[in-house]
Amino acid sequence: MFRFLATARLVVVGGAISYRALFNWTTPPMFIGTLLVGPLLQVFFFVFLGRELGVADDRFHLVGNAVLAASASGVYGGTMAVANERRYGTLGAVLLSPRHRIPLWLGRALPYVLNGLFVSAFVLTAASLVLGLPLPAGALAGLLLVLLVAAGACSAFGLALGALGLRFRDVFLVSNVASSVLLLLTGAAVPRDTLPGWMRTAGELLPLTHAADAARGLTAGAGLDAGLLGAELAVGAGWGLLAVVLLGVFERGSRRRATLDTM
Amino acid sequence: MRRLPRLILVGVRTHVSYMSRSPIEITFAVLVPLVYATLAVYLFRAAGDPDRLLTASVGAGLMGIWGSVLFGSGGAVQNQRWLGTLETLVVAPTPLALVLLPITLATAVIGTYAMGATLLWGVLLFDVPLDFAHPALFLLAVPVCVLALGMTGLLLAATFVLLRNANALANPLDTPVWLLSGLLVPVTVLPAWTHPVSWALPTTWGARAVHAATSGGDVLTPLLAAAALGAGYALAAVLVLGRVERRARAAATLALT
Repeated sequence: MFRFLATARLVVVGGAISYRALFNWTTPPMFIGTLLVGPLLQVFFFVFLGRELGVADDRFHLVGNAVLAASASGVYGGTMAVANERRYGTLGAVLLSPRHRIPLWLGRALPYVLNGLFVSAFVLTAASLVLGLPLPAGALAGLLLVLLVAAGACSAFGLALGALGLRFRDVFLVSNVASSVLLLLTGAAVPRDTLPGWMRTAGELLPLTHAADAARGLTAGAGLDAGLLGAELAVGAGWGLLAVVLLGVFERGSRRRATLDTM
Repeated sequence: MRRLPRLILVGVRTHVSYMSRSPIEITFAVLVPLVYATLAVYLFRAAGDPDRLLTASVGAGLMGIWGSVLFGSGGAVQNQRWLGTLETLVVAPTPLALVLLPITLATAVIGTYAMGATLLWGVLLFDVPLDFAHPALFLLAVPVCVLALGMTGLLLAATFVLLRNANALANPLDTPVWLLSGLLVPVTVLPAWTHPVSWALPTTWGARAVHAATSGGDVLTPLLAAAALGAGYALAAVLVLGRVERRARAAATLALT
């Protein structure tokens, strides 16, 4: 019992402290401008592009981009949770800890999951109000669940990218490219049936793809597709597992070469 | 009078060399526009509009140029703050506007990588024919558009002197300018109340000239409008910069990060 409480404390309290420390550059204007207003305006860009080309309707772009909004905090936050420790010179102190690595890193991803969920929910609500596309009341609980799973999968993806920060110096370059790849391949911004087969297959392995489809089904009144939700969970778990493996391998490698805090 | 062109030329060359060696600048200038170009090409194809694939590639290139100018200009002052050189630049005998101008022009020049990359990407991967309606005017329209974007960036950089974290303003400004300037989507699809805002942006006229040179239409009128508005923005930037510089000196906030 005591061991469980200690692990829970490491996940929740440790995660919260690391979030405050690593997200210290975030001021309210920065948070509002980058995480709330930016993705909201991106919805309008794709809605007007969709209207001009007639490839998909407003709701397609609204829901897809709202789900995609979780990617900013998930991908960059997950990356920062590891890479910024190295940048700030505190990685050595963190890895001196004898605690198990899974709750240690899981706790770090947790605030970014909640952050992503908040951003997605805000973008979905605000954009649907502005565009006059009301969300069905019966779908709200399902939507919240889908957005939570999407934010979780995105944070696991970000943590896997962040693990590269233990090995490579400019990991934010990777996050920028990954963020663009999510935009192109997940079908959040462009209908996936317009993409070639290999791009669709690659999209299946990325977070957000199944969540965007599930959220669109919910807003169309089709109910929650358990298969799509399960697929998103499986993708998130896969990226989470890869993150833990990569973090372990790169930690051992950097200890062996004494390059833990080397920039 | 000979010192001014030399200052601008040397400044642009220095900053283009500096930015060309930054992996993050190259990513923003080349890779991200390629993603948007791919996305635009697939969307235009799905819309059954293959004749406008070149317009899509050019539009994605313009989006890349704006992205480069926006983040470059937004970061111009912030970078000098972080490097500890902002105070030195402010106290130098050269007016601050003339120090910032080469930086914003250099970001626009780096942004032209985006245009080259998206056109090459379209030709090599999607067989987009380089069938410009006015090839010579296209070569004239792109630099004027780049200049107009650079002037808009200069005005942004001027206002960013007062802000400790300019990225907070720069990050959400990406997509509204793409939309309001008609870089990929014509401004006619936007609500009527946004049209005056579009007309006031040099980027709108620059993009209109580049698109007209690509797919046909009057190039020179929007080109002149872009140049005139760009000059107006440069003048406004000089005036704004004088005021915010004095204010930042008086409040002793110039070097605060």
